[in-house]
Order: sequence, then C-alpha cells, then structure tokens
Amino acid sequence: MPVEILMVEDNPGDVRLIREFFRDSLIEVRLHEAVDGVEAMRFLRGDGGYAEAPRPDLILLDLNLPRMDGREVLAQIKQDDRLKAIPTIILTSSDAQADIVRSYQLQANCYVCKPIELDAFESLMRSISDFWLTKVQFPSRGDVGEKQFG
Amino acid sequence: MLNVKLKLALGASLVTVFAFGAISHRWVVASTESSRWVEHSHKVIESINELVFTMERIESSSRGFVLTGNAGYLQSYNALTSTIKQDQAAIRLLTMDNAEQQRRLPALESLSGEQIRRAEAAIDLRRTQGLSAAATFISEGPGEHVSDQFLALTGQLQNEEKRLLALRNAEAARRWSQSWPILFSEAILGLLIAGAAGLLALRETGARALAERSLRGSDDKYRMLLDGIQDYAIFMLDPQGKVVSWGAGAQRINGYTPEQIIGQSFSCFFPPDDVKGGRPNDVLRMAAASGRYAESAIRVRRDGREFLADVIVTALRDSAGRLMGFSEISRDLSESRKSEAKYRGLLEAAPDAMIVVNQHGEIALLNLQAETQFGYSRDELVGQKVETIVPEGFAERLIADALRSPEDALAQQIGTGIELVGRRKDGSAFPIEIMLSPLESTDGTLVTAAIRNITMRKQAEAHLLEKVEELNRSNEELAQFANLASHDLQEPLRMVASYTQLLSKRYKEKLDSDADEFIAFAVDGANRMQRLIQGLLAYSRVGTKGKNLLLVSSEAAFQQAFLNLGGAIGESGALVTHDPLPAVMADETQLIQLFQNLVSNAIKYQPAGVPMVHIGAVRSDKQRWAFSVQDNGLGIESQYFEKIFGMFQRLHGRGEFAGTGIGLAICKKIVERHGGTLSVESQIGKGSTFRFALTGSESI
Repeated sequence: MPVEILMVEDNPGDVRLIREFFRDSLIEVRLHEAVDGVEAMRFLRGDGGYAEAPRPDLILLDLNLPRMDGREVLAQIKQDDRLKAIPTIILTSSDAQADIVRSYQLQANCYVCKPIELDAFESLMRSISDFWLTKVQFPSRGDVGEKQFG
Repeated sequence: MLNVKLKLALGASLVTVFAFGAISHRWVVASTESSRWVEHSHKVIESINELVFTMERIESSSRGFVLTGNAGYLQSYNALTSTIKQDQAAIRLLTMDNAEQQRRLPALESLSGEQIRRAEAAIDLRRTQGLSAAATFISEGPGEHVSDQFLALTGQLQNEEKRLLALRNAEAARRWSQSWPILFSEAILGLLIAGAAGLLALRETGARALAERSLRGSDDKYRMLLDGIQDYAIFMLDPQGKVVSWGAGAQRINGYTPEQIIGQSFSCFFPPDDVKGGRPNDVLRMAAASGRYAESAIRVRRDGREFLADVIVTALRDSAGRLMGFSEISRDLSESRKSEAKYRGLLEAAPDAMIVVNQHGEIALLNLQAETQFGYSRDELVGQKVETIVPEGFAERLIADALRSPEDALAQQIGTGIELVGRRKDGSAFPIEIMLSPLESTDGTLVTAAIRNITMRKQAEAHLLEKVEELNRSNEELAQFANLASHDLQEPLRMVASYTQLLSKRYKEKLDSDADEFIAFAVDGANRMQRLIQGLLAYSRVGTKGKNLLLVSSEAAFQQAFLNLGGAIGESGALVTHDPLPAVMADETQLIQLFQNLVSNAIKYQPAGVPMVHIGAVRSDKQRWAFSVQDNGLGIESQYFEKIFGMFQRLHGRGEFAGTGIGLAICKKIVERHGGTLSVESQIGKGSTFRFALTGSESI
C-alpha cells in the first residue's frame, strides 16, 4: 500500500524536486499536490471534486501560499478532529523566528527550511521519509477520526 | 476790549514804578552788598556740582574704554582730567574768603587724585591684560569707598556753603525789613494795581498769564540763567506742585513751552500709572519732609515718550521755615548717553545690531543695524521695554544677571550666545543670537547686547538636519532593500541551482563532454551566486539584525567559532591557539561571526604546511582590549591593506581560493558597530595579523 502524501506548495519546481526524490526512493509514495490553502482544505475535507481523495499519511506544508496561507491551513487542520492527527511538516524557505514560533504554537509536527544545496535537500528528504514514513508508528487507517464520529 | 484794559493797567503800573523808582534806589544800594554775597554762595555751590559731574564723567569714560577698548573714550578721558584741574582751581579761588572751606580742599584734591589714579590703572590693565583683568580691578578694591568719601566731602563743602547762603539770605532779609516802611506804600500800590490787572487777566485769560507775567517782571536774570542751561530741566513748583517757572532746558527735555506748562501740575511729567498711584504727591511730600528728594525714574515727555531721568526735588523754605515751593532739577539720562558720540560711533561700527538696556529692561541706546533689523526707528525704541523686540528670554536674563556679581556675569556671558526670537515692528519673528555684556556706568549697570540675525544659520542647520534624516532614511531603505532582495533572490536561485545540480547528477557522462562542461559552469555560477547573496544578506544583517551590546565572554564566542569551523580546521590540520580572552561588550552572534571569519581566512590563505593561528588579547587601557588574530599564511602586500576590507574585493583568482570577497567587509562592519576599527599588518610570506579593539571588563 503506497504512502499518501499531500504537498501544499505553489512552486512547481519544489513539487517536482520532491517527486524526483521519491521516484528514486524505495518507499512507494503517492504525492498529491495543492497549489494554495483553499485547495488543500478542499482536498483534506473531500470537497469540490476531491470526494475520492485519500486521507494523507503526511502533509508537507509551505507557509507562503496564495489565497489561504500555510499558517491558516495549519490552524484549520489542527482544529479539525478528523485531520489533526495527520503529521504536518512545515517545509518553507522562511527562517524567520516569528514563523517558526507561530508554527509550533499552531502544533506543527516539525518545521524545516528548504535547503539551498541539492545535496542538502535530498539529505533532508531522506531524513523525513526515514523518520516519518518508516520509523514512526501511526494509528492504523480507519482508526482515526471515524471512531470518534461513529 | 482786553487790550484797552491791559494797557490802562500797564500804564498805571509804569507811573507807579517811575514815581517810586527814586525812593527804591536807596534800598537797592543798601541791599546790593548782601545780595552779592548770596550770589557768591550760589557760585561756590555750582562749582562744586561742576567738580562732582566732571568726576562722574571721568569714571564713566574710563569704564567705557575698559569695556569696549575704544580709543574715543580715552580722548574724552584725557580732556576731562584737565577739566577737573580747572574745576578744583575754581573752587579754591571762590572759597578764598572762607578758611574753613579752604581746609577741606587738600583732602578733596587727594581723593579726586586717587579716583583718577584708579581710573588710570584700570585703563592700563585693559591695555596690557585685557578686559577681565580690568573688570576685576574695577569691581574689587577700594574704588567705591574712595568715591563715597569724595562725595561725602563735596557734600560737606556744599552744606557749609548752604549754611552761609542761609545766613546771607537772612542778612538780605534784615536789610529788607529796614527798608520796608519806604517800600510798604510802593508795595500796597503795586499790589492794588497788580490786583486790578490780575482780576482783569483772571477774567479774560486765566491765571497762567498772570503767573507768567509776574515771573517775567521779577526774575529776568534767573530766567536767562536757566535758559542758558540746555542739559538740565530746571524749574520751580509752587507748594501744590504747579509749575511756576520754566527754562529752555526744561522745554528741550520735556517738550512743553512755558505757555503750555506754567500753572499746570507737574504730575504730567509722570507716567500715567505713577500718577494713578499718587507718585507726584509722594515726591513732593518726601522733598518737603527731608528737604531734598532724589530719584532715577521714568518721566514722560509732552509727546508721551518716556525717558529715564535723574531727578532732584528740593523744598524751598523762607527764613521762617514756611514752604514756599520746590525746585526740580532733572537730567535726561537717555539723552546724556545719546550725547556720548564716541560710544555711539562704536555701536554704529559694530556689524551686529546693538542695543543697550538698563536694569529696568528699557532700551537706552541702539544702533542703525538694530533699527534695520527690527524695522523700528530709533525714537520708537528708546525708552521702550526690551520685550518689544525680544519678547522672551532677554528680560528674564537681566533679572538673573542682576542677582549675580559682575564678575560672574562677565565670565558667563562674554562669548556665550543665547538663542532667542526677535520680533520686528511688523510682527514677524526671526531667530536671533544675543551676546550680553554688562556695562557699569554712573547710571547703574547697563547691559550691552549684540544681536545677530541667525535666520541663515538656522536655515542651514535645518537643511543639514533634513539631509541627515534623508540620509538615514535612505540608508535604512537600502538595508531593507538589500535584505529583501537577497532573500527574494534566493528562491529562484534555489531552483536554478537545484535543477542544474540535478541535471549534472542524472546526466553526467550520459551526454557528450561539452554538455558536462556547460553543466559544470552553470552549477558553479549558481553556487557562487548563492554564496554572494548569502554574504550580502549576512552583511546587511550586521546593521539591521544587530542586537544590543552586552557583556559577553569572548572566550565562549571564540570557542563557538572554533566549533563551527571544526571541519575546515580538521581538514587543514591547523594549530589554533589563544590567550585567555576577556569579557567584552558585544553582540555575541556577531562576535562569533567575527572570530569565525578571521580564523577561517587565516586557515584558508595558506601555502602548503601547517597553518598556525593565534588569537591574542591585551589590555590597551583601563577598559579597552586589543585583540589580534595572527597567522603564518601567505601575507598581504601593503598596497592591498585597504582594499581587502571592501565589498566583493578579492586578491586571489577563483582557481586558487574560493570566496566571495564579503567576509572581511562583514568583519569590518561588525568591528565598527562595536565602536572599533579593524586593521591589518602583514608581510608577504610571513603571515598577517588582524587587529581590533573592544570595550570590556577590567580583568579577564
């Protein structure tokens, strides 16, 4: 069963880099993309054409996005009982302290900056997939959300 | 009708006078002798007044020279010293008849000699040692004491002469009483005729004409005498304060003709407020009580202009002690100063507007520049409160100065400009700078103020301030721009770099050798640009992201830099040593960066061999520490000592050493932000030493 990842990112270059990384990776990944916060929330809630969208195992969220920005998306995810258990990783180019503090206050699972060097980028992605996609235990699918809402 | 009656009355008077002329002649001859002595006493009193006046002028001309250094004062001073000899000779001659007065003369001459010697000494001091020495001399020592003694002695001389005058008046009165039966009938007749004429005149022209006519009839000689005196207003009042005689000097100073003033109350010479407060009556009461009352006070001219006057009111009593009236002698002080042409010339020659202000805050004198500057004519300002042209600050200053000793005032004021606001006649305000200097004069302390219009200077200052603000703003904008630009540039550059790197990784050796080379150039270019942008960002952050300077351990900062450089140090096998390092006032992050950049350079620019780096710290004075980072590297030619600290300045080709040319520029900016300078000493082939100083604790 492939790992479902939602990437919320308006830069197609970054999406493609990640896609290229997972292409070479041993883990089978299905990468879904949303180009702004509005689309991300539709995907997550199965609205507007996303009825068939799977519930992601991991969210990679950029902060600076058109329409609804990453901070708002993060806030909505973490306030939504059906979504808040999904590990959400902030992946952004901002290294501003204000952004880092705010993101953790909104209960981001971790905050990483996009490295400038390709090697560093690949190494970061390796760490992420190694930790979040292989080492970490999650509630089994179907046990999240549905139980509480019956 | 009037003319006919007056002519009749006059005709009757003439007949009477002629008829009794012969009878009167006898008495006139008899009384001539005693009235000659009365006149003599008046002369003596006058000559003493002359001497006192000359002495005052000597003092004021010497002080004028001391204060201004103007040689004009010396001319009048020299003239006055010979005048005073003549005054003394006149007194000696006039008192030949009186042994008692003659005995007082040696003391008088010695006291006036002493005063002249002091004036002379002050002038010499001014010439040889300058203003402040002379001012100190004047304000210290026995000057006041000598002057008091001099005045006391002249007072004694005058009192003696007044005593004689009283005796001589009594003698004249005695002669008069012997002659009275003869004159009685003449007087009765004269009175009858005068009474008739008076009734007529009262009915037709009022009391003024009578008073005037009787004055003319009886007192021509004195009137001529009074008219000859131009510098003093001398006039007589009746016991109620109505003017009964009026001279040319009085007319010139007060502005009234005899016709206008005789018979009027002298209260019209007082400012309206004083009149309301009953001042005129007070003056008469005090003069009547003590015989003589003197004051320096404001008086009003006929046209309403005020002036400062020295006034002496003397009660006139007959031999029985009955109050007959008063004499008033007044001198226009602003007038007397105005007449000091030399001083005026000095004022006029000054480049600044000059005004002289008395202790009451009234303008006593001003120059043409002041008239131009403030838009008033001279007459409009003299006697006016200084607030008219300097609404705030000046008058307060005068009060403050009045509480200080003259030495303090001199010490504090000369050369210190006070910035105030001046107001022109048209109401417009302009910035001025005022330099005050006190002027001790016979009329009390005056203040000379040089007033400079500093509009231009203020404008220049404001302009400069504006430019500085503009510069600060533009610097700030530039810093923000650099920060934003380098930040936003990073995003697209990350794409270029990532994808060229990806390209190189995936397709190396899969395309032809040209493609590999092209890709290599693209990757290298993107990498270098990234480092440049990061350098720029770091450089701009030294200014914009700098934290406050706190006392931090430079040892800890160095250790952190050493850790950060771990890889580079390990690879090069460098030997890095250091002195014990003190606590210093610094932004810790920047201090770490400083050490890191300098040590990294020391390791990087090396020939083959073991890099040796030493960080030293020596106390240069109580709170300053001189740091040094010394290496055994390539060294730098002295011609490049300046250049290496510039932005993007590199001494080596990219092939030899990698680098952006920003590292030392950042170091320089960090050191400067910490209040120091970064310098280098170096010898090619031996190594370089970078030095900077930081403020720190007194011990390590």
